[in-house]
Amino acid sequence: VLVLVRSPLPRLRVLLQRCWGRLERGLWPGIFGGQGLPWGPALAVQGPALVPQGISDAGAPNLPESVVWMAAPKQRRTIEVNRCRRRNPNKLIEIKRNIDVCPECGNLKQKHVLCGYCYAKVKEETRLIRMEIYKKEGGPFNAPTVETVVLYEGEKPTEKDEGKRIIERARKRPSWFVQN
Amino acid sequence: MRLSVAAAISHGRVYRRFGLSPRSRLDLLRNLVTALVRHERIETPWARADEMRGYAERLIDYAKRGDKDERAMRMADFWLTEKDLIHKLFKVLAPRFQPHAGSYTRLLQIPNRDGLDRAKMAVIELKGNPLPPLVRPRRDSDRTLLNQLLKGYRQDAQRARG
Repeated sequence: VLVLVRSPLPRLRVLLQRCWGRLERGLWPGIFGGQGLPWGPALAVQGPALVPQGISDAGAPNLPESVVWMAAPKQRRTIEVNRCRRRNPNKLIEIKRNIDVCPECGNLKQKHVLCGYCYAKVKEETRLIRMEIYKKEGGPFNAPTVETVVLYEGEKPTEKDEGKRIIERARKRPSWFVQN
Repeated sequence: MRLSVAAAISHGRVYRRFGLSPRSRLDLLRNLVTALVRHERIETPWARADEMRGYAERLIDYAKRGDKDERAMRMADFWLTEKDLIHKLFKVLAPRFQPHAGSYTRLLQIPNRDGLDRAKMAVIELKGNPLPPLVRPRRDSDRTLLNQLLKGYRQDAQRARG
């Protein structure tokens, strides 16, 4: 066997020389198929402790008869089957077809629901009117026994507002609050 | 004839369940009715507003009988927890709704609540209240086909008369 190894790195050359030396001396058996040093008698150990035999003939595990067998999937569900189930129309979110544009402000609203913007406007105005009412009443549990009418700046009570309590608001009448 | 009461079947039951018990449900609705009579417009979950509407309208029907009526006074005494509202009910609301035959309240749905529960909310108000209107009645535009035909018919009738 002629092996010619020429490597520029000195460390690698040293390592290769060492390996070759070990091979020649027979201290590295099994490389070329030949037997190494003649082996003498050695310590013998009982078989089963080193190589336990019970694993291969396990068969059915030793469970009591009253155990309940639970359902479990037999096969992995493929991604195609998964996609069919996940994207089935009954699992997708329903698209709403009842969205319209509010004719007053132009925001979007659902057909059977009040417009959020317009309602917020009315809610704010109601809150200010209620603050005025509270100031006029002075305290809790003073509900009047007459009707109420809300008048804005520069407005006089008409003959329809004869016996009513008047609540003044210090601003111009908004266009969406028609006086009647 | 009812031979047995099967649990967890509620076919035909009209009253919703609220609160901790039937008594608690009535207390809850009573608070809402009191608030409606006081403020004339309240914002609450839709189910509560819908349930409360019937009780409020029946209370107004009782109030229309007049405050000399013993049953009407007992009803108002039970349903209105704040006793100054009994005066308001008999002196303000009963005359206001005398010409109306029924349907004294208006129930409108508003966008879902902003909190975590996104509850379906509604605003319930007594008709004829002094607050700003929630919905402006819109007339159809003059450019629709039907309105144009009616306008032409009116003009023809006027021309024929004049």
